[in-house]
Amino acid sequence: MNDVDQLIISEEFENSDASLLETLDHVLNRGLVIAGEITISVADIDLVFVGLNVFVSSVETAREVLRKREVE
Amino acid sequence: MSELVYYVYCIAESAAAEQLPVDSLPAAIEEDAQLEWISVNTLAALVSRVPASSYSEEQLAEHLTDATWTAIRAMRHETVVEFVAKRITTIPLRFATIYLERDGIEQILAENSHDLELIIEQLRGREEWGVNVYSDRAVLLSSITQVSPVLRELAERAGKASPGQSYLMQKKIDALRVDEARAAVNRIVDQIEETLKAQADDGVRLRILKVETTEHGELKAKFAFLVRRSGFEEFRDAAERLAQEHQAAGIRLELTGPWPVYNFVTGFTG
Repeated sequence: MNDVDQLIISEEFENSDASLLETLDHVLNRGLVIAGEITISVADIDLVFVGLNVFVSSVETAREVLRKREVE
Repeated sequence: MSELVYYVYCIAESAAAEQLPVDSLPAAIEEDAQLEWISVNTLAALVSRVPASSYSEEQLAEHLTDATWTAIRAMRHETVVEFVAKRITTIPLRFATIYLERDGIEQILAENSHDLELIIEQLRGREEWGVNVYSDRAVLLSSITQVSPVLRELAERAGKASPGQSYLMQKKIDALRVDEARAAVNRIVDQIEETLKAQADDGVRLRILKVETTEHGELKAKFAFLVRRSGFEEFRDAAERLAQEHQAAGIRLELTGPWPVYNFVTGFTG
């Protein structure tokens, strides 16, 4: 195993806030666009990312909700 | 009981989908609904039913302004697609692709089978890896002064000049240093892109939605690379060498993944 001090490997997304943001960024903006009967527009998605502070606190809430679901 | 519509997560080959019975899969995007494979000949789409009342065009647009609602659903979407992508070759679909009828999905699979199969073939054995490049401004600025001959010479002259002159020269040094730092970051980011692209099947630069400042510094660039599983060790080693090479300049690399190949299925519109 090499020294990996400089390279930060984030394979466990669940464990950090930045990773949740990273996940949202991946899921919300990309993926194959097929002609669904209802789809969302890029502008709708960008709205989600507006307002960093509001967003981060909301995501915190989201994480708590998800965690609770897992416990149930 | 309210009307139900179909939420589509991803597409895979029917034969591969058979290895993943729905009761082995994670939870669907909404409670009280099972995931289901809809199969047409060689292709299968993974779907679950969702209430039309929440997923109509207007309702969706409204829900999306609620970050909590969106974040929870996006994470569930990701959990499902990631689970499948870890096991079989998968085309991930964009969040919130909705069909009103089962027929619509069957039609998409039938009409686009050739293109979809081609995409699956190109993705086989490959994963997406993200690379984020961060810059620590303070470290970068001080390293720039040390390596730039122009800045070094100016600093020496400022040291010998009169207080008034020295003040003006210092202002000039500061401005130059900011310019040189910006150019250095651009150069390094380009080099990272070029080097890692050579180790991957494909690579794209992603837009930065928000300027994030983390413990690693400010986010300067985001990339996604399509990497063969068999070539991942080499890709990782190349990233590590780049990280080592630029550490003294305050540059950090973050490797994230493996992701479903969200960034490498975008050309197709059905």
